[in-house]
Amino acid sequence: MLPFSKLMRNGQLVAKASLGGGASKLLPFLLLLPALVFIAVLYIYPLVRSIWGSFSVGAQSLSLGNYAKAWALYKKDIIFTIIVAVLGTILSVAVGLILACYVRLSISRASRFVNFVSRLTIFLPYVIVGQMMNSFLAPHGLLNVILANLGVVNLNNPLQFFNIRGLLLGFLWKEAPFIAFLTLSSLQVIDNSYLEAARSVGAKTRHIILYILIPMIKPAVAMAAVLTFCTIISTFTLPYMLVTESPTMVTVDIAHRVTYFRDYGVANALGVCLYLLAAPMAVYYLRRTVREEIYGY
Amino acid sequence: MKRGVWLIGLISLIALVGIATPEKVTLLYMTAGDINMLALAQNVLGPMFSERYPEVELRTVHTGPGDAGSQLIFEKLRAEKLSGKPTWDVDVAMVHQVFMSWAMAEGDLLLQYAQDLETWKYVTSPQAKYALGVPVEGYVMPMFFSQVAIAYNPQYVPDPPRSYAELVEWVKAHPGKFGYNGIKGGMSGVAFVVGWVYWKTGKYEKYAITGPYEESEVASWEPIFKELKEFNKYVTITAGNVGTLDALNRGEIWMGPVWVDMFYTFMLTGKMDPNIRLVLPEPGLPGQPMYFVIPKKAKNIEWAKKFVEFVTSPEIQGKVIVEMYNWYPGIDGSYIKDYVSPEAYARLYRDITPEELRTKGLSFALAKYHAAILEAYEKWTIGG
Repeated sequence: MLPFSKLMRNGQLVAKASLGGGASKLLPFLLLLPALVFIAVLYIYPLVRSIWGSFSVGAQSLSLGNYAKAWALYKKDIIFTIIVAVLGTILSVAVGLILACYVRLSISRASRFVNFVSRLTIFLPYVIVGQMMNSFLAPHGLLNVILANLGVVNLNNPLQFFNIRGLLLGFLWKEAPFIAFLTLSSLQVIDNSYLEAARSVGAKTRHIILYILIPMIKPAVAMAAVLTFCTIISTFTLPYMLVTESPTMVTVDIAHRVTYFRDYGVANALGVCLYLLAAPMAVYYLRRTVREEIYGY
Repeated sequence: MKRGVWLIGLISLIALVGIATPEKVTLLYMTAGDINMLALAQNVLGPMFSERYPEVELRTVHTGPGDAGSQLIFEKLRAEKLSGKPTWDVDVAMVHQVFMSWAMAEGDLLLQYAQDLETWKYVTSPQAKYALGVPVEGYVMPMFFSQVAIAYNPQYVPDPPRSYAELVEWVKAHPGKFGYNGIKGGMSGVAFVVGWVYWKTGKYEKYAITGPYEESEVASWEPIFKELKEFNKYVTITAGNVGTLDALNRGEIWMGPVWVDMFYTFMLTGKMDPNIRLVLPEPGLPGQPMYFVIPKKAKNIEWAKKFVEFVTSPEIQGKVIVEMYNWYPGIDGSYIKDYVSPEAYARLYRDITPEELRTKGLSFALAKYHAAILEAYEKWTIGG
């Protein structure tokens, strides 16, 4: 039999070991719990419910009826949404990159001013952008009136913007500065010596942009494009305030189904279409972030 | 110890005051509708009512716009009924038409009270008898009507179309100058489409008042919605109720359907060209009232009746409903003349007379027909 004191020590050791072992197993989960509960309640549960809801018609569960109806009534709008999202992203990325490269390469006051002003748009909500575009782009809105005064446009037959053009302009106005904002920080880390080296062998500004700056910030550009794409397909206010008829964006149709028909089935089916559009982007985004976290590139 | 004495003194003082002054009646008023409905009750009707009856205080609960706001009131009343309480919390409520179809189907929620009111004799509208086809006579008192009408710019349209048929001709002659907001951007566009169906089918009675709902009716609409599609080729689709008003004001369109109360409010606040006028074409356009209802076991039934009577009196209808809010009165317009400034009266009835309102101010269709009309438009007019 062990002496009492040794037993005590052993007991303490055992207790310590078991306590420590148990805590070290549980602790990470305990620490994660609040975040997990938050995500489960506010994201996963509604997501699962809306997917489930998209397959239920009345009492009869598991039917494709909602999808059939969504496709029959809104296929034009689904295609339109994809077109707007793709074109909007391409345009915003192009303009955003031009803006970022200009601010990166120029050291003038003007470029600093452009940088400052363009950032203001990032803080405006879409409902304000919608209202602005609504009065700016209207047939007798500010833009057409200015162009008419310049003699470019006839007010009896003004430029029409309450369609895909207005939408693209609105998204461009809001998203291009956002992309510039995201990519500029990456551009600023690029050492000037690369640019100087390129210049010394005769590279022009466009060569520097196309062959040095952009290739070096590709990951940042891709991320910005993904975020922009997802913002565009999920925005409701801008299409609602500019183009309410047909074709319009799927978000407007979702609101319509709910407001006038209380038809959450078709609304959910349309929502799932948007998830499917966003999903590849989300997967890309996650893989990218994980890779960056682990491997640092 | 000292504090205890003070406390006892204070409590007895409060008790004394409580005994000395008669207990104030709190009238609980639940209202659906936009935020202006809350302001109306809190800032205007409540204080005016308390001024006349100092022993009563109106407490307002606002449930929000649209059907959802009325639904909350319905759920509250239903819960009170199911609870089996002898008296219910809500004394009087303000609801949309669709509420009545739910409440009458549920049964035992509402008091039949309207005939007891002094002001019942002023009510002439058919919408006080039927709400979306549901018989409601006696259960409701309309507070106001909102009506959709065609606004036009006399500068370009000296002689506006007086019927849908004339409108179609006009639109073909002036492409792009008639604008409405389709069906996804607000009810003024919906009202125009519903009016189109009434015109083309000639079945207003069946669709909006008597029913019954029949699938075969809906199937027969395909050609009329195809014609609407053709009509739409010549019109401008605006962005929302306000979009139509803005486009009229900027001169982009010369005609378009608008809510009359929004139209006049825009005009009074300087957002609308004051020359624009209104016309109600044959066979008419839909509008909708909002109703006072009294729950069956309200705690203060007599005061609730007095309150409804007060708001539906020619005086308040003239001074508040017409003059301040630009709604059509819930009672017959001919009774309010003495209480409303000649300008306001002239403004409201200049273009559309009370007589015209009686014959051409229509109801929206019964709930099932209404949904079917919207869906038919999506299927055949904008085509999936």
